[in-house]
Amino acid sequence: MAGISEVFSIASSGLGAGRTRLQSIATNMANARTTRTEAGGPYQRQVPVFETEDLAEGDDGTRGARVVVSEVMEDPRPPLRVHDPGHPDADADGYVLYPDINVLQEMVDLMTTSRSYEANANVVEATRDMALQALQIGR
Amino acid sequence: MSVSGFRLFDGVNSGLERVLDLREAQHTLVSSNLANADTPGYLAREMPFGEILAAVMDEAVTGGAEELPQVGEAEVEERPADPGDLDGNSVDAEHEAGTLALNTVLYNALTAGVSRRLALLRFAASDGRG
Repeated sequence: MAGISEVFSIASSGLGAGRTRLQSIATNMANARTTRTEAGGPYQRQVPVFETEDLAEGDDGTRGARVVVSEVMEDPRPPLRVHDPGHPDADADGYVLYPDINVLQEMVDLMTTSRSYEANANVVEATRDMALQALQIGR
Repeated sequence: MSVSGFRLFDGVNSGLERVLDLREAQHTLVSSNLANADTPGYLAREMPFGEILAAVMDEAVTGGAEELPQVGEAEVEERPADPGDLDGNSVDAEHEAGTLALNTVLYNALTAGVSRRLALLRFAASDGRG
C-alpha cells in the first residue's frame, strides 16, 4: 500500500513548490529597482510555473498528484520608462528603464505562498500523527 | 496499513480495516489537492466517501465480509472549476483543511477501535487473565 509514504511525498512537493515561489518573490522584491543585469537591460520579474504530476493509480483506485515547478519564466511585461536624467543608466532623452514590479502584488503573493506552505506543513503533521497512531494498533 | 487476511469471528475487523484504507485514500486526495492549490488548471479530486463508507459498514455488520467494496469501484470525481476562477483551479483550501482535520481525528479513533477489539481477543485468548 502506497498510502502514508506517498502522502509525505505529495506534501513535500507542495512545500518545495512554495519555497521556490518564495525565492522568486524575494528576488523580485530585492530587484524592484535594478537597472543592470548580466544579460543587459533592467531586471525581469521571475514567475515560477507550477505543473501537476500525476502519480500511479493506487490499488484503492485513487490517484495522488504531486506539484512540480516546470520552469521559472521571465515576466514578458516591458520595463517601465521613467524620466530620471541624473541616473547613470539614463538614455539620450533622460529616460531610465526600470523593471515593472508592483510591490503590492509581490506582498499578496507572499501572503498566499505562506498560507499554502502552512497548509502543506499541516498535512505533514497530520500524516505523521496518523502513522504513529497506526503503529500503536494492538499495543 | 492493510492487515490482509486477518479475519477473526466476524466481519467487523475486516470492516474496520477497510475503513482505515478508505481514510488513507481520502488522505492522499486531500494532500494532492492542497499541494496543487496554486497549480493552474488543476481540478480538486474527491471521492463519494459517505456512500462507500455506508456500503462497507453495511456489509461488515451483516456478515457479508467476503466482498467488501473497494474505493476503485467508485469513481474519484473532479470538482469543476468556478467559471469566475481565472486560473481554472477548483481547490477550496478551507474545505480541504476541514476534511484533513476530520479525517485525521476519525483515523485515530479507528485505530483506537481496532486496538480495543484486539485487546478483547487477547483477553479471551488468555482465559480472561490477560
